[in-house]
Amino acid sequence: MPELPKKKVGIVSCSGEELAEGTITRLAALKVLEQLRPADTVTICLPLFLAGGEGDRAFAKFYPTIAIDGCDKRCAARGTEMYSGNPAASIVVTELVEQRGLGKPEGKRRLNEAGQQAVEVTAGKVAELVDGLLHKNWNRTAGAEEETTVPEEQEPVQATCSCGSGIPVQEVEINGQLVTLIALPVIFQHFKEEGKTATLDMASELLNAVKIYNPVSLDEEKTYAETLLREFALFYENEGTTK
Amino acid sequence: MMEKNKKVIIVPCSGIGKPYGTVSREAAYDVTEDLRPRQTQLVPLALLVLGDEESRAVVAENQAITIDGCKLACAAKMVQQSGGTIAQEFAVLDFYRTHKDLKPQGIAELNEGGQKLAHALAEEVTAVVDGLLSANEGGENA
Repeated sequence: MPELPKKKVGIVSCSGEELAEGTITRLAALKVLEQLRPADTVTICLPLFLAGGEGDRAFAKFYPTIAIDGCDKRCAARGTEMYSGNPAASIVVTELVEQRGLGKPEGKRRLNEAGQQAVEVTAGKVAELVDGLLHKNWNRTAGAEEETTVPEEQEPVQATCSCGSGIPVQEVEINGQLVTLIALPVIFQHFKEEGKTATLDMASELLNAVKIYNPVSLDEEKTYAETLLREFALFYENEGTTK
Repeated sequence: MMEKNKKVIIVPCSGIGKPYGTVSREAAYDVTEDLRPRQTQLVPLALLVLGDEESRAVVAENQAITIDGCKLACAAKMVQQSGGTIAQEFAVLDFYRTHKDLKPQGIAELNEGGQKLAHALAEEVTAVVDGLLSANEGGENA
């Protein structure tokens, strides 16, 4: 059975090689990906938005994305916005360092103590944003999510990138306009394999699944539900004829 | 042929999901900070992605050496898209295939094998830099 992609938060760091702050973005992103929130985060290399394919460019449409930038040029945030989608949140290390009254980070290859401190602070801030985007409330003192009876522990992992992941998309016509819906083919496949058919009461269930990955305004919900049901029926029909 | 006083541009990939990306970054630092600091210039990939005018101009006016961590070759593609000329493309993965004893591990911090691989790669990149500069009348090699 195909797995529905779990809702995760995308992390895009500028990784700027020219500044110590660029190294901080890279190390902070890795700390979140590998240690702080490994189960909730994914990453992609910024240049893949240009050098990669459509699946790579769908990254920020699929994942609510946090851009981590080293300086006020904000390459990660602006690059993500230009080529993939609006970042859900954005952090600039130089601003964070100033706000927190940290020392000046130095050392592109080997960060000084202030730089290492900035990595910790930046990673902590990103983890907070991840929890906020996933509607979690992480209690830093307890080291666990609030209002969760059994805290979900996250095992450290080695980060992997989502380059070439080819996030599945499908175009559908809604109100006379073509709309690209993220993850729709996988959702249809999942519903079919669960034995669900294109009946009226399935419309809201389909809509809810689609809303996990795509923004749907309240006044468009009815049209979306009708369209999804129609498309699901077509999917069912086509799948039936191909098997 | 390069004109006098031109630098060789080094563009590593900004790979964050594999140790090979870290090797490319480390090798670029080796070349631009330790081995040929006066003859080379590192250009961050993120600035090319953003279309930064200054970075594009530097890439367009000088020969570039790209160091990519994986087959997607972001650094090479971005230099080409920025109007640059690539003198030589290096791929860490291919380089590792010829140095199997130096297996890179760790992304935030490379293991010893990874560091040695980066240094060895930097030596090869430096040889190309020297070759380009020697073709430049009056160019300095060290």
